[in-house]
Formats: sequence, C-alpha cells, structure tokens
Amino acid sequence: MSSGSHALVEFEGVNKYFGDVHVLKDVTLEVERQEVAVVIGPSGSGKSTLLRCTNRLEEIQSGEIRLGGDAISAPDADVNRLRQRVGMVFQSFNLFPHMTAIENIMIGPTEVKGVPEAQARERAESLLDDVGLDNQADSYPHELSGGQQQRVAIARALAMDPEVMLFDEVTSALDPELVGEVLDVMRDLAEEGMTMLVVTHEMGFAREVGDTITLMSDGRIAERTPADQFFDQPRTDRGKEFLRRLL
Amino acid sequence: MSDAYSEESTGEGPDFLDDDAVVRRIGELIAGLFTLSVLGFLAWILATQVDYRLLRSVFPRFVEAFRLVVFIVVVSSVASVSLGTLMGLARISSSPLTGRIAKGYVEFFRGTPLLFQLFVIFFGIPRLWPPGQFPIGDWRVPAAIIGLTLNHIAYVAEAVRGGVGAVEDGQLEAARSLGMSKVQAMRKIVLPQAWRNALPAIGNDQIILVKDTSLLTVIAIPEIMSVFRNINSNQLDPWTPLVWVCLFYLLVTMSMSLAVSILERRADWSADDEVGGLRGLLSSIGKGLGRRL
Ligand SMILES: Nc1ncnc2c1ncn2[C@@H]1O[C@H](COP(=O)(O)OP(=O)(O)OP(=O)(O)O)[C@@H](O)[C@H]1O
Ligand SMILES: [Mg+2]
Repeated sequence: MSSGSHALVEFEGVNKYFGDVHVLKDVTLEVERQEVAVVIGPSGSGKSTLLRCTNRLEEIQSGEIRLGGDAISAPDADVNRLRQRVGMVFQSFNLFPHMTAIENIMIGPTEVKGVPEAQARERAESLLDDVGLDNQADSYPHELSGGQQQRVAIARALAMDPEVMLFDEVTSALDPELVGEVLDVMRDLAEEGMTMLVVTHEMGFAREVGDTITLMSDGRIAERTPADQFFDQPRTDRGKEFLRRLL
Repeated sequence: MSDAYSEESTGEGPDFLDDDAVVRRIGELIAGLFTLSVLGFLAWILATQVDYRLLRSVFPRFVEAFRLVVFIVVVSSVASVSLGTLMGLARISSSPLTGRIAKGYVEFFRGTPLLFQLFVIFFGIPRLWPPGQFPIGDWRVPAAIIGLTLNHIAYVAEAVRGGVGAVEDGQLEAARSLGMSKVQAMRKIVLPQAWRNALPAIGNDQIILVKDTSLLTVIAIPEIMSVFRNINSNQLDPWTPLVWVCLFYLLVTMSMSLAVSILERRADWSADDEVGGLRGLLSSIGKGLGRRL
C-alpha cells in the first residue's frame, strides 16, 4: 500500500470538465504527510472541485490522483474503501438530521467498518470531547448552533480515522461569532499532525496554521508557496494581485 | 401627485378591510353562519327524513359491509404502500431501463380511471381462460384488492419519488464521503428522511384509497355503497341509509388519518417526545388524536 517515498496526496496532470467547461486544467500537486495545505483563489477557480476530486465525489477526465501511492482515480479503484481514508467537511455541514450528534459520529464506523456499537460509542464520546461537545451527545442537529454542528461534522469525519481531511469553506456559512470555535478545532487537529487540505477565506487562519498556500486561478494552480512567505512576498503576479484585493 | 401616496389609499378595496381585527371578525361571522346552516340542515334531515326503525334494522348490514371494506382497505393499503415504495425507488433508479419501466407503470395507472382498471381485472382477466375454466370461484374481492393495489402503487411511488427528491444532495454526498455504498447510504441516510417527507402525500393517497372502495359497487362487491343502493331501491328512502354511509366512511377515513399522523410523529425527529417503546407509541397516539381534534 503506502510507501514512504510518496507524498500523501498526489495530483498528476489532472483535467476535469463539466460538459464543455474545463474546470481543472492540468493540475499537478503534492501534499506531504502532516502538511496543512491551504487552497485559496477567486470564486469559480476550481477549489471545491479540486477537493471533491480528491475523494472522488467528482470524476476526472485525465491525469491521476493518488492517495499514499494508491490511484484514487483509477476506474477499478474501490471507491468506498478509498473514501474511508479521506475525511470531508462541507460548508453546509450536511449532518444527518434524523440522528443525534453521537449517532452521526457512530454511523460511519459501525455501518462501513463494522466496528461494534459499544466501541464506536466510546470513540464517538471521546471525539465529542475533543471538539468540546461532550454534553451535546444526544442533541439532534436542529438543536445545535451552526458552529456546534460543524464541530460534530468534523468529529464525524475523524471517526473514520482518515489519513487526510478536506475542508471546503467550512466556516463560510457561520455567523462571525461562531467561526472561531470551528477554526480552533481545526488548529488543534493541525497541531496533532493531521494532513489537511483547507479551502478557506480566513486569511488569518491560513497564515497562522497553513504550511503552504495554493493559489488557484481559472482552474490552474497559479502559485504554491510556503505560507509564511506567501503573505509577505508572493512569487507570482497573481499572488500579488490576490493579496492586493484582500486589502 | 404626491397626495397619491398618502395614508388613506393603501389598497384597492374598502378601507375597513385594512384592519386585521375587522377582517378576522368577518371571517368568523361567515364561518359561523355556514356552520349554523349546515347544522340546521342536518338537524332538519334527522328530524324529518330519517326513519329510525329502519335505521336500526339496517345497521347489521352496514356493519357487515364495513368489515369487508376494512379488510379490503387494510390489505390493499399494506400492499400498495410497500410495493409503491419499491416502485418509487425503481422510478429514481440510476438504471435507465428500470427507471423507464417504472415511469411507464406510473403513467398508465395514473392516466387511466380506476374504474377502467377494475373492469379490465374483473371482467377482462377471467375471459383469458376458456369459459368456466377460470380457477378462482369468487373473483370479486381478489379483483378489488388487486385493482386498488395496482392503482395506488402508482401514487405511492410518486410520493416516494418526491420524498427522495426533497432530501438534500449533500446528505448523499456526506454519506458517500464516509465510504458508504449507495445502498447503505440510501437505507441509512436518504430513505429515513425521504419517508418522512413522503408520509403526508402517502397518507392523502391512502385516504383516497378508502373512498375508492365506493367504486367497488360496480363489480358487485357488497360494500357500503352497495348496501345503500339496495336499501334505497327497496324502501325508496335515501336519507336513512345515507346516515350510516356517512358515519362508516368517516370512521374508516378518520382511523386512517389517525394512523398516518401517528406514523408522521414517529418519523419526525424534531418532535419533542420520545418515540421508542410503548410509552412513545402511546404518546404518539395521544398527540395524533390531539392534532385531529
Ligand atoms: N456540478 C457542476 N456542474 C457544472 N459546472 C460546475 C459544477 N460544479 C462546479 N462547476 C463549475 O466549475 C467551476 C469551478 O467551480 P468550483 O465550485 O470548484 O469553484 P470554487 O473555486 O470552489 O468557487 P467558490 O469560491 O465560489 O466556491 C465553476 O465555473 C463552476 O461553475
Ligand atoms: Mg467552492
């Protein structure tokens, strides 16, 4: 399976079309183990598509995507198995509304991995504790604030013990005062060494927690620079322009 | 011209209709008058038109018809809801063949009258055998159940399709992201939500199914309308048997809608009561009743 010489996530010459629209153009990208790769770029530049291809919610038309050396994009790949190794957190939480917080977290391990109920519950309780929601185990999603829901969603993804976590604008749907609690959980996760691909507009978080910044522009990777360098001296004109617009 | 925007001229109608309280009073007055006239009419019918001796003597015949109707309704209802759910899933199948066949089924059974379907089954099917060879002696009740079931499968299928369609795409994506197969995601995530979404429409359809049994009189099933027609033509007294017709249909339809509202409560995770066990069931019945009354 995974051999140490590979980056954990590899995109190689990936092209993705929606009909006639060329959305990912010859994307090549390597995300190392324990790297927090922050993906930024204007609306429509293909950030979400990049993430969604990583766990094959979208199919690509050419190129290859590998996870720990295993080709995710191969036609005969065991998608359900590969997806277990990739956690995804969505902008709109997508918690299962008919299940309590703890049931949301347990359903993946019990249903997909066949983990015994009691063991899954114990793990879910500890994950709820990690995201600061140990007292909300039996609440339904509609009884939780947006920030709480998103933290449950993160715990739900973590319960599968993924090798990499994908975050697609996970704070964009939140009231400003709830953004911090979600970013805190993500920061903890980064410190524990989780490999993360993070699409975000939170530049403070990108700068502080991100290891690398990947700037997307019109379906291409315009720049990929260490985070501490990007904000002070971006290498490309696109990077400079992006930062100029932020101000 | 700026006068046109002054306070007085806010709408088209008379000014007093701008006052919420007045509109509400008018509404109450109309509803009250309507209720009074209906009740008055009913009282007048019951006082002058109904023969109470006859009412008592025909009661057992209606009870018998009622029991037959309940039997037909229960069997057709269980069959049409379960098979209709499958048909609804076939309708949204990713296989174009399955999807198209299910669509054809739905189009046919919704597009032709139930009466036609009953005639095909009741008169048509036995003629496919040589005269006298049809193996089922009394074909009336089986034909009725088959007809009602086939017909209502189509409506339940549409309700289920709508229910699945109303589940957000993100739900399936979240489930698949966890590594669930399509079948697992449907069973554990999409269908429980789709079922809740579809229940009101399924309930409506099942109440229509109850009323559709009145058509069975044309294939000589001794159901409630048949008993009425019989008594009316012998006694030349419509109002007396109509009292029982009304009461017995209401009894079935209201039980049906009670059952539906219990199911709705149990499928509703945002309802604030516990749903498991006997306590939960009893409290659902209580709340179901409360909502009906
Ligand atoms: N399901 C789809 N069908 C057709 N086109 C799509 C689909 N999803 C995305 N696109 C198109 O692909 C392009 C990239 O979309 P994508 O969602 O990846 O951008 P994004 O960078 O995430 O933008 P945003 O910041 O607005 O979320 C856009 O032009 C979009 O219109
Ligand atoms: Mg996006």
